[in-house]
Amino acid sequence: MSVTSRTRFVNPRLGTYFGIFASSLAGLVLLLLIFEELGTSETLLRWGMLLGPLLLYAAIGVCVPTREPIEFFAAGRRVPAGYTGLGIAVATMGATGIVAITGVFFLIGFDALCLVIGGLAGYVIMAIMLAPFFRKFGTFTVPSYLGRRFESKTVRLLSAACMIVPATLMLAAELRMGAFAGAWLVGQPQALMIFILAAAFVVTTLLGGMRSLTWSGSAEAIAAVLALLVPVTIVAVMVTNFPLPQLTNGPLLRALMYSEAAHGLPIVDAPTLGFALPTEGAAHIAKRFTVPYGAVGPTAFVVAMLTVLAGVAASPWLIPRVTMTPGVYETRKSLGWATVYFGLIMLTCAAIAVYMRDFVMDLVKAGVPGNLPDWMQHLIALGFVTVEGAAPVAYTSFAFVRDSVLLSLPVAAGLPSVFLYFAATGIVAAALVGAGATASAIGNVIEEDIVNGFSSEPLPRVGRLHLARLAMAGTAAGGAMVALLAPTDPLRLLLWSLAIAGSTFFPVLVLSIWWKRMNDFGAIAGLGSGFAVAVLTILAGESNILGLDGALAGIVGLPAGALGAVLASLATPQPTRSVLELVREIRIPGGEVIYDREMRLLRLKNRERS
Amino acid sequence: MMERKERKPYWRHTKWQVLASVVPFLVLIIVLPLYADSLNSERFLGFPLGYFLSAHGIAIIAIFTVASFVNRQDAIDHWHGAHEDM
Repeated sequence: MSVTSRTRFVNPRLGTYFGIFASSLAGLVLLLLIFEELGTSETLLRWGMLLGPLLLYAAIGVCVPTREPIEFFAAGRRVPAGYTGLGIAVATMGATGIVAITGVFFLIGFDALCLVIGGLAGYVIMAIMLAPFFRKFGTFTVPSYLGRRFESKTVRLLSAACMIVPATLMLAAELRMGAFAGAWLVGQPQALMIFILAAAFVVTTLLGGMRSLTWSGSAEAIAAVLALLVPVTIVAVMVTNFPLPQLTNGPLLRALMYSEAAHGLPIVDAPTLGFALPTEGAAHIAKRFTVPYGAVGPTAFVVAMLTVLAGVAASPWLIPRVTMTPGVYETRKSLGWATVYFGLIMLTCAAIAVYMRDFVMDLVKAGVPGNLPDWMQHLIALGFVTVEGAAPVAYTSFAFVRDSVLLSLPVAAGLPSVFLYFAATGIVAAALVGAGATASAIGNVIEEDIVNGFSSEPLPRVGRLHLARLAMAGTAAGGAMVALLAPTDPLRLLLWSLAIAGSTFFPVLVLSIWWKRMNDFGAIAGLGSGFAVAVLTILAGESNILGLDGALAGIVGLPAGALGAVLASLATPQPTRSVLELVREIRIPGGEVIYDREMRLLRLKNRERS
Repeated sequence: MMERKERKPYWRHTKWQVLASVVPFLVLIIVLPLYADSLNSERFLGFPLGYFLSAHGIAIIAIFTVASFVNRQDAIDHWHGAHEDM
């Protein structure tokens, strides 16, 4: 009998390959730095910084083609925990998280932590309550798992339909944020950049499916993390003589606290369910950095945290990533790595915000009106900041564009322009990771659960892969159209996406493993009620019918989903013996992967038949 | 391979481990930020303590929770013979 193994087939040279990639990227940055010093045109530097990494990602994706379904949909189940964790950490909030949360930290300080804590807690819950069991089951999509767990094609189709909505919102958010950074970098229209990003996804994914996406995505994630870390680490060395920006901004924060108090920045008390996150565009520094609950009320803080937790833990575009690990133990470890990387990324975003506020503090302390330093004039020229009001200079004199705070740091610190371009290319890389995760998940669901949703047997091998490729390319084009036609704030799209995904899938997925009594009626009621209530709450919140922000839809969506699932299950007959046996098997890490065994038996049956 | 009679004790053991990991973690992440303002008057590594615990502290607690769960659950898997083959 074949069994799962912790260490099977993992390529021992992965570290070398990605070391070469990281060195190539560093080489490109250094080369462009030399070109900048030699006076090469800005246009060449900007296009070089955008296209160089894009070509590397595409080359990695194209170099790992495959014709085997297990490779195409699960990268051969041999992606080590560290790489899976890195991919999950960057894909969770993608470029939207990195860029917008940095801006939110800068503008409202402490209150942005509700999103960070929610993300971290999401990994913890996923690692403990969901992912190991999903890995033991081994299907390539969440709807396939639910359909098989409840022995119901209706559950499979309903969950596939419900999954497409939040995943498309997330895809549109990522494409918009990536296009914002790419368009700024090379001075082209955002619409063109949206299609360039969608095309980059198609090129990197088409030949090898999830295998290509995993390895090119790992390279993109490494580039995104490096582009985030390098400029702020240099600034940390300049300011504190220590290359650990996440841990060394404490004294600056203390100085900032005193300065904000001395210059009369108000202490604001938000209503308990108030959720005033800064929107896309320019906004003033509204409150003191470390004082909590000025923009987000205490109840809204907890609700937003739990909504993000549920959305991350049960997001149908992140969970399938764990089926690529070599085993259940590696799956648990991969979520540990995701927690480490996500924590590092978010603490770096917070550090960037503190350093930027520190630069503004220096201006406010100097208090010289009409004689702003070069870096501030450069930021104004770039359109990142507007200055309002006359003397004396105060914190509220400056309106920062939320999504430009990350790009403002290299300018404020006087670093060469190449570091600014590097930061922008890192945003593009993170957007590709986020967009890739969602677009591939939607494509797989369309092929596995919608086109083939009425059959328990997969399509023939070649047709299956071609259809999946077509679905992924179509999803990328569809996502690009949505991003163009619905120009909403990417952070709102991300939060709505997590609220809908959490409300729809979290109760059903958790109960499907931890409550044997749950049946297909419960699953249908849980999915339907969670989805409907979350979507209606968001619509009501956005049209001001309900005094609740759409991002907090989890406060009603999660209980609705859980209640629907429990009540409908209790009111209908018990699951069959075969379903109960299946649930017992999911709970045990050892033994063969359930999906792989079913496919093996199916092949044997077909061979006997022929 | 796990024996059939071990299934119930294994699942009971797993459930307790999950509760022991999840409940304290959830309590901490909800309670810590609520007390941040009053803790901010103290400092640690130069940071206001409330902010440090809510940002760095919760990240460290999350990593510790997953790491300890991975180790403990792996020990439980081995104890009951439910582990994967090496």
